[in-house]
Amino acid sequence: METSQKYHTCGSTLVQTIDAPLSLVWSILRRFDNPQAYKQFVKTCNLSSGDGGEGSVREVTVVSGLPAEFSRERLDELDDESHVMMISIIGGDHRLVNYRSKTMAFVAADTEEKTVVVESYVVDVPEGNSEEETTSFADTIVGFNLKSLAKLSERVAHLKL
Amino acid sequence: MAGICCGVVGETEPAAPVDSTSRASLRRRLDLLPSIKIVADSAVAPPLENCRKRQKRETVVLSTLPGNLDLDSNVRSENKKARSAVTNSNSVTEAESFFSDVPKIGTTSVCGRRRDMEDAVSIHPSFLQRNSENHHFYGVFDGHGCSHVAEKCRERLHDIVKKEVEVMASDEWTETMVKSFQKMDKEVSQRECNLVVNGATRSMKNSCRCELQSPQCDAVGSTAVVSVVTPEKIIVSNCGDSRAVLCRNGVAIPLSVDHKPDRPDELIRIQQAGGRVIYWDGARVLGVLAMSRAIGDNYLKPYVIPDPEVTVTDRTDEDECLILASDGLWDVVPNETACGVARMCLRGAGAGDDSDAAHNACSDAALLLTKLALARQSSDNVSVVVVDLRKRRNNQASS
Repeated sequence: METSQKYHTCGSTLVQTIDAPLSLVWSILRRFDNPQAYKQFVKTCNLSSGDGGEGSVREVTVVSGLPAEFSRERLDELDDESHVMMISIIGGDHRLVNYRSKTMAFVAADTEEKTVVVESYVVDVPEGNSEEETTSFADTIVGFNLKSLAKLSERVAHLKL
Repeated sequence: MAGICCGVVGETEPAAPVDSTSRASLRRRLDLLPSIKIVADSAVAPPLENCRKRQKRETVVLSTLPGNLDLDSNVRSENKKARSAVTNSNSVTEAESFFSDVPKIGTTSVCGRRRDMEDAVSIHPSFLQRNSENHHFYGVFDGHGCSHVAEKCRERLHDIVKKEVEVMASDEWTETMVKSFQKMDKEVSQRECNLVVNGATRSMKNSCRCELQSPQCDAVGSTAVVSVVTPEKIIVSNCGDSRAVLCRNGVAIPLSVDHKPDRPDELIRIQQAGGRVIYWDGARVLGVLAMSRAIGDNYLKPYVIPDPEVTVTDRTDEDECLILASDGLWDVVPNETACGVARMCLRGAGAGDDSDAAHNACSDAALLLTKLALARQSSDNVSVVVVDLRKRRNNQASS
């Protein structure tokens, strides 16, 4: 790799409103060691370093049928007060190079029983694909994860009533 | 078994190569795969437990249809195969006496180089009688994301098809099979998922990863290639990238067309539905799924649909066999090669009254095709069903 080479990057932001309280949503979202609780593409997850806190690295295996089998990811930041989580993908057999995401959760303005989750990411555009294709692919994955998080949170919230 | 397979090949075509591979090098390569565990079950045969019961109550057997075989998606040991082979031999004799028009079949289903087995096979001879004709059901299901959708198809699709065919007007096979697949898809989608509460999990019968870890199952799906065989017709319904191929007088005739996202008509359909096909390690719907139709996969609807393409083919005296298989076979073995292999195995057995020989020939064909796929570095589960379509002497005498 030439050090002078500059990659073309792209990014996107997705928003998911969840009909469940922030404390519940965050308790699921913040588990860096257990993404499979809500991420349906995750088959297994093991920490290869750290205890789940900042700086931890996880080895994720992906379910079959997808264009990847595993991913190595690092938890760059976890702030339980402002409900912010930052993750970088640092390896794997996929094509999402230099992927970095920031996920924020906060109370919806109209009611305390609703949570808004915002996930934004940047990633290199792989050779052979356009920026639009790359965001379309990543948005599909991130969007599906956020919808799954909403379904799970709402189901748990409903059970606790 | 490998020796028997090579022997069959040698006896019929001593000098003929299999595709571009010589027999010697093929045998050497097959011998390099001793650790691959392969199940080669011959049906018509029920699972072992049911078979033992039936043997104890022979009078009951006389008045019932032969049992159906649903291959487990788990790999079995060679020992079990040997035992079931012996048992199957008895069952075949019984079946032959009363259901002479039940086609002989062979089937294999192996994990191969993948870590998990997500294929399933469903064999239901004489699952339906209609207009005084016996109908037979064969299906291959290649799951992705997890195994439970393919397993649910294996358990349920033949029964759904049966109920739809029973109310079918005239011979509207296309409409009937489309309805059946849509019902199967709905059933899979409505599946109740168990919720993980406070980290506690309940052990479940037939549990799979989704049962234990995730309360949602929208990212699991399966192909489905299904054949209903009647005395006069072969009906094939396909959804996904498994495939059915008819061997007729040495010629390979595809009875299904793979649903790949970049197939021109599928590409147009997906785009018109508001989706897109992205080349991300191959053509994929939204860059994610490498097939354009599947049972399940709710998160990709309406781009990935469960509607099958249906073909209805009249049977002829020149029909030799039907091969249903997952893409673990077809990705590395061309249609023509598969037909050539199956044909050699069947010709070795002849087309006489000896149903055991025809039976074993189908098993040999399925096993040899599976080994060929593994030898050619197939990277997927491999499931194969070979159905002997040749008309036997007693059938010809009666007609």
